[in-house]
Amino acid sequence: MIQYYSRFFTLTFLLILFQVLVFDNVDLFGFSDPAIYLVILITYRLTLDQFGFIFLGFATGFLLDLLTHTAGAHTIACLSIAFMRPLISRFALGANYDQPNAMFTGTLWTNRMLYLFIMIIIHQFIFTLVAYFSLAHFGVIFKQTLTNTFISFILIAAILNLLQPRR
Amino acid sequence: MQWVLNAIIRYKNFLLFLFLFTLGLAFSSSQSAYHKSRLSKSSLFISGIIHQPFDNLKNYMDLVNQNALLSKENNTLKNLVLEKFNKAEILALEEENLAGPNYWSIPAKIIRNSFTQARNIILIDKGEKDGIIQEMGVIGPQGIVGIVNQTSNGYASVLSILNQDIKINAKFKGSNVFGSLYWTGKAPNEMELADVSVINSVQVGDTLVTGGMSSYFPEGIVIGTVKTVERPNNGGYYSINVGLINNMTDLNYVYVIGNKNREEIIELLERTP
Repeated sequence: MIQYYSRFFTLTFLLILFQVLVFDNVDLFGFSDPAIYLVILITYRLTLDQFGFIFLGFATGFLLDLLTHTAGAHTIACLSIAFMRPLISRFALGANYDQPNAMFTGTLWTNRMLYLFIMIIIHQFIFTLVAYFSLAHFGVIFKQTLTNTFISFILIAAILNLLQPRR
Repeated sequence: MQWVLNAIIRYKNFLLFLFLFTLGLAFSSSQSAYHKSRLSKSSLFISGIIHQPFDNLKNYMDLVNQNALLSKENNTLKNLVLEKFNKAEILALEEENLAGPNYWSIPAKIIRNSFTQARNIILIDKGEKDGIIQEMGVIGPQGIVGIVNQTSNGYASVLSILNQDIKINAKFKGSNVFGSLYWTGKAPNEMELADVSVINSVQVGDTLVTGGMSSYFPEGIVIGTVKTVERPNNGGYYSINVGLINNMTDLNYVYVIGNKNREEIIELLERTP
């Protein structure tokens, strides 16, 4: 378990660093910044304590808010998906949703992709909604959510492929 | 009592979520100036330290482009000076300098620029030790950039003009028709001009400059040109879309503008009922 946590927190540190220094400066199409740090919340073992995971979601978002000056948008978005993750995993991952490493083994590929997509789109929608904080900008919120989800999905799927344990 | 404890234990995840969500919202819309300032200063300090080395590397790679831009800016300034000489205004210029300018500028380098959020913030590498204080105006090589928001010893954060919380006083070049310029969040090169009455004539292509009615910017700094004008059927004000001249997505060096009379103006405004 100590080995798992040390690997997990190293990955968390690296992902946040890459997010802040590289991916927040990507600005694809002039407005799109992919959120690769979501790998942290997507891969955290599903069988571990949900109480601690909610804290992890809050801390990750808060740290990103401090580093990127987004005034609470990351905090609320990360906290919300951390809280909703058991529901999403149960809905998307099928019968084996309670596997510890369900994102890598024991579940169907299509189920994993569905889980990934739902986690990203909910996060991006809440993030953009809090950032704009106005329904008058619903068109912009909708456009940014879809574009960011699409780009983040591709990048996160690629990162997960790299993290896949080799047999 | 037992059932209360049981309920807390049973719904502990939900209660923790609610508590942290409230904290997140409080952080997001904090009204306490003290806490807001402390948090902003701490985050400014940390992000300044983190972004500085990365930005140094990025700047080194971009030196060729920056040299070309600086050379272009130098050329424009030289032309302005030559124009003054040609018009034999050198004496007037000297007199003005003896009296001391009302505005002075502090050059600074941008170490982080965001333009994809609803409320964009820029970080610069100059802070309190360099004489930067809150609410100083910031301009780029081609136009206005924003207003200083928070300062730490070595860094400052600037509210970009691409921030839905700020409005800039602007007027049409060559006239005294004023309006309020604000960002709608649609594109980083477009803003809206409000409060311009339909009794004034506005044409596509008209140039907008700073109005000089606030203590942030001197009068006459170019902002952009009118892209579209809509005259509402039953309203008294135009709906004007403005194209910015300054490319807010490609900024590297800026000038922070200090106003010698700022405190006097603010004091007078506070005393005015």
